[in-house]
Amino acid sequence: MTEFSGLPLSRPWRRFVQRDVLTGLLFVALAGLGLWLSRDYPVGTALRMGTGYMPRMLCWILLGLGAVIAARGFRDPGGDRSDVPIGIEALRPVVLVFTALVVFGLALERLGLVVAILLLVGLGALAGRNLRPAETILAAAFLIVLAWAVFIAGLGLTIPVWPEI
Amino acid sequence: MDLLSNLALGFSVALTPWNILFAFIGAMIGTLIGVLPGIGPIATIAMLLPLTFHLEPTAGLIMLAGIFYGAQYGGSTSAILINLPGETSSVVTTLDGHQMAIQGRAGAALAAAALASFFAGCVSTALLAAFAPPLARVGQSFGSPEYFSLMLLGLIAAVVLAHGSVIKAIAMIVLGLLLGLVGTDGNTGGQRFTFGLNELADGLDVATLAIGLFGISEIMANLAQRDASRDVVAKKITRLWPTADDFRRGWPAVLRGTSLGAVLGVLPGGGATLSSFAAYALEKRVSDRPAMFGRGAIEGVAAPEAANNAGAQSSFIPMLTLGIPGNPVMALMIGALMIHGIQPGPQIMTERPEMFWGMVASMWVGNLMLVIINLPLIGFWVQLLKVPYRFLYLAILLFCAIGVYTVSNSPAAVIMAAVFGVAGYLFQRLHCEPAPLILGFVLGPLMEENLRRALRVSGGDPMIFVERPVSLGLLIVAAILLLIVALPAIRSGREQAFQE
Repeated sequence: MTEFSGLPLSRPWRRFVQRDVLTGLLFVALAGLGLWLSRDYPVGTALRMGTGYMPRMLCWILLGLGAVIAARGFRDPGGDRSDVPIGIEALRPVVLVFTALVVFGLALERLGLVVAILLLVGLGALAGRNLRPAETILAAAFLIVLAWAVFIAGLGLTIPVWPEI
Repeated sequence: MDLLSNLALGFSVALTPWNILFAFIGAMIGTLIGVLPGIGPIATIAMLLPLTFHLEPTAGLIMLAGIFYGAQYGGSTSAILINLPGETSSVVTTLDGHQMAIQGRAGAALAAAALASFFAGCVSTALLAAFAPPLARVGQSFGSPEYFSLMLLGLIAAVVLAHGSVIKAIAMIVLGLLLGLVGTDGNTGGQRFTFGLNELADGLDVATLAIGLFGISEIMANLAQRDASRDVVAKKITRLWPTADDFRRGWPAVLRGTSLGAVLGVLPGGGATLSSFAAYALEKRVSDRPAMFGRGAIEGVAAPEAANNAGAQSSFIPMLTLGIPGNPVMALMIGALMIHGIQPGPQIMTERPEMFWGMVASMWVGNLMLVIINLPLIGFWVQLLKVPYRFLYLAILLFCAIGVYTVSNSPAAVIMAAVFGVAGYLFQRLHCEPAPLILGFVLGPLMEENLRRALRVSGGDPMIFVERPVSLGLLIVAAILLLIVALPAIRSGREQAFQE
């Protein structure tokens, strides 16, 4: 696992790659995004609240909390930055699991359950590192039968099983 | 005698073959996911939530509840046999439970855990039956200002009792409240944060959010770690029954664990996990042989296992009586009620007595089934523990994907769950607990509605919240809680308590 301490960063920058600073900045960024998205929402008054009253109020609170979290982390330079992995190896399962789900979602209705499961298991197997090809095929076959039995035969969901021609 | 006739009604509902079947299915699934590390009750209940739409609401709730308390039974099995907690609420059971297994007393540990859970489950279900009606009556006298203050108190208490940084948890709540606002504003009809997408017009779904934050991010985190090897204690389990000495030492521990769990479970942010940690700490303190803890003391298994089951069961009390979820599982239960168009709140008990009392009675039925599922069938679950995670996660991933698709029968839900999965992984790395976010998400729309109503009554004057005595009292308690955690001396004490 790659660690930040090994990064060739100059001292002032290292303060930023501390967990609490990153967390605070993330909340500030999300609040900023929310405020920008809700810029045209009518706010109204406390008596007659508009669409934007609650969202904008909550965004300002989140902005404040994020700023405090970041500031506290920044003031504490010795704070924990130990295990924030940024290496490609740590991102691999995240990216592949994400892709597997998106592909499954897009494939399910058009290509049917069988193909969608094959795609999900194939991409999902790449996310782990120690699954052998033969095992993957076996797992896919087992899961196709199981999913068919539970969801189609058992619960009667209307998901196409085979690709629509 | 009201209680007796209510319970009779409950059993008449719970003992229909159909509802017995669903209590059994829930208990089985709960034990299964409890035994398996890497998937918890939150993700599982979220996955099955959309399917309960096709069921009668009582049957659906009976099944979902069974999964939650069933997981508390199953979690101890893997904690004892492979030193890996199947659930977070069984973390402390590993300390003494696994030591007992190494000493060849796995059977006694398993039996102690199951019997303690059974006892605690039965007692706290009785408490639920006894205390729910009066609490619901209190709830029914509440107006919108009281409700708003109560929810605020609930959210703050959840943060204070949870572990980790308080300010981060509050930020997560606010983020959850914001996510709860996504969709069409019921009062003005305006669109909020929908990016013009039709799929978002009805708002985000709690099941999608929970599957992403708790199910998918967990898979990502597990895969990102190097493989931990798991060794099942392979010794044959010969003797299941604990010795007379075990009973003598175990009983008082079970009683203490049950009382502690039943109280902590009712509090917001409480529930199974907190109860088990607190019970272990208490046992260690009152024991006449504290040095034995961590070396296979039966009290160290019996007390936390009683406490987590008592806590799991009693956390239903605020959810069913006031409509306030204390933990993410209860938030999902509220989601399940809403799928069926049932408004959560104190009126449930008067409007749908058959559902409420049926659920209560089913908990006794379910707990009895769980003892049978867990003790004589222990060999089956041990076999299951030998399935390697590299197969398991593929199955979990697939069930997450199909489960989330059935939320709205749309590919959009799957993609949203994937996005929340990445977000959940990020939060985990940043040490931000996702539980407060889910609570905020569920309570957000309710809080906004009550805030609006209260301010309409008062003509826009926020003083209404402090002018009404009950509301003021609730707000004062919330403020005191916040003050307490803000004080440095108490903060360090709290951190110590969670370290134990």
